[in-house]
Amino acid sequence: MLEERLERMGIVNDRGKAAAYGIISLTILLILWVCATSLFQWIEPRVLPSPTRVIGQFAWILTEPFSGLRLHGHILSSLERWGWGVLTAAFIGIPVGVFFAWNPWFKTFLNPVFELIHFIPPFAYIPLAVLWFGASTATQAMVVFVAAFPAIVINSQLGVAQVQKIYIDAARVFGANQYRTLRRVVLPAAAPSIYTGLRIAISNGWMALVGAELVVGKVGLGFMIAQGQENASVATIFVGVITIGCLGVLIDTLVQRSERYVLPWRRVAG
Amino acid sequence: MGRSQTLQVAASLGAILAWVAIWAWLTRPGGPVHTLYFPAPDDVWAKFVRMWQRPYIGSTLPNHILSSLYIVLTGWSLAALVGIPLGIAMAWWKRLKWIVFPIFQLIRPVPPLAWIPLTILWLGIGDSARISVVFIAALVPWLMNSMLAVYSIDRLLLDAARTLGANDRQILTRVVCRTALPTLVAAARMALGNAWSTLVAAEILAATAGLGYVAVNASQLLDTDVLLVAMFMIGILGIGMTGLIGMTQSWLAPWSVLGARRE
Repeated sequence: MLEERLERMGIVNDRGKAAAYGIISLTILLILWVCATSLFQWIEPRVLPSPTRVIGQFAWILTEPFSGLRLHGHILSSLERWGWGVLTAAFIGIPVGVFFAWNPWFKTFLNPVFELIHFIPPFAYIPLAVLWFGASTATQAMVVFVAAFPAIVINSQLGVAQVQKIYIDAARVFGANQYRTLRRVVLPAAAPSIYTGLRIAISNGWMALVGAELVVGKVGLGFMIAQGQENASVATIFVGVITIGCLGVLIDTLVQRSERYVLPWRRVAG
Repeated sequence: MGRSQTLQVAASLGAILAWVAIWAWLTRPGGPVHTLYFPAPDDVWAKFVRMWQRPYIGSTLPNHILSSLYIVLTGWSLAALVGIPLGIAMAWWKRLKWIVFPIFQLIRPVPPLAWIPLTILWLGIGDSARISVVFIAALVPWLMNSMLAVYSIDRLLLDAARTLGANDRQILTRVVCRTALPTLVAAARMALGNAWSTLVAAEILAATAGLGYVAVNASQLLDTDVLLVAMFMIGILGIGMTGLIGMTQSWLAPWSVLGARRE
């Protein structure tokens, strides 16, 4: 077989074949889409718009304001709310997680409130957030916070709990007080785990943001999708869904790549 | 050991009581928090009892709960029916994986919620829209973990079983199923968690019954006490379902639970 010979010669390896199959399958999907819409119109454009229609809508939202803002305006306002929610969660969550591990009594006392945030899905907080803050940035930021907070606390706590006792003892022997031990020994050792928590929080928050924007608000990508639904414009929904997906992947990749710059000592240890 | 555990439980209970006391003090008549924004604990309890007996926006609380459970369990089971066989097949035949996985990778980064408007347009606001969104949310963990379950089977164990004279059926039931089971239970738990939280959002957006629907209506009618009842029920049911799966795991695959506890 040709395939086997190519493989033996090292020209086609498994990875290359996987990519080839992937490209073929995605191409077939695209051809099916074109056939079903533009070419033969098996499906009504009202139900499934053609690829050209979606691209046209994309270009249109990029140049003409849609519900007051162009596409990048919606993206920026989504990013702003998401940023506020995640930043607040990090500022409160990391210290809470560290102290959860550092002081068991602190944890026992705060745990009931934490479990409440942890076990009720973030979307269930949307109605409460609307009632408290109305249709403002704070509403969406609160939902993002609720979605991001538990992952940060749990991973910070885990990171501190996993610090080897011998490091702490060594620091103490050298005369470090509690604050210095925490700052110089425990936090750097726990940082990789805290970073993992942030990563999970960032993607959880992005998901929750979409939900919050679907329910309430006048700008943002989720709002754009909701508007698409109201105007029965599937093309607009497609543009929103694709943008949300791409931004999600982009953010996750950036965070993953940035780890080696933020935590250079991890590379040495690993 | 036993004594420190008792102390731990007592301290936890004490903390819960302390928080309820703080809550009651903050929301007392003339207290710093107005009951419009956060109701008093006794009001929430009274509302809970009342909603259990009398209908709120169409149905009693048990009926709302049943409606939510019906949707979430249907979507979750359908996702299992598709996800488990497809995941196993993808792990078994490399080519199938190469074909299906790219499509899957394309859909995966989109939050399941973003499909809600599309399903509403395509299927209306009936049960099928919500079931399909829950299905999408639950499919990812089912499929990924089913693949993982096949990959996690140790080649050595298979060879050892064969050397010791096991036939195919015995290998399947005694080796393959047992090593794959813990991963599948983890899949079930993750899928249910995703499904439950997505359902809540779907019910907020389009439903005529269910806990999310109760919550969003309570928010519009400024019935904060009803809203809190709904939120607590959502949390308790989530914990309950996860707990049931955990119990199933310790019943079906006790060795995996023991292993987990040792860590």
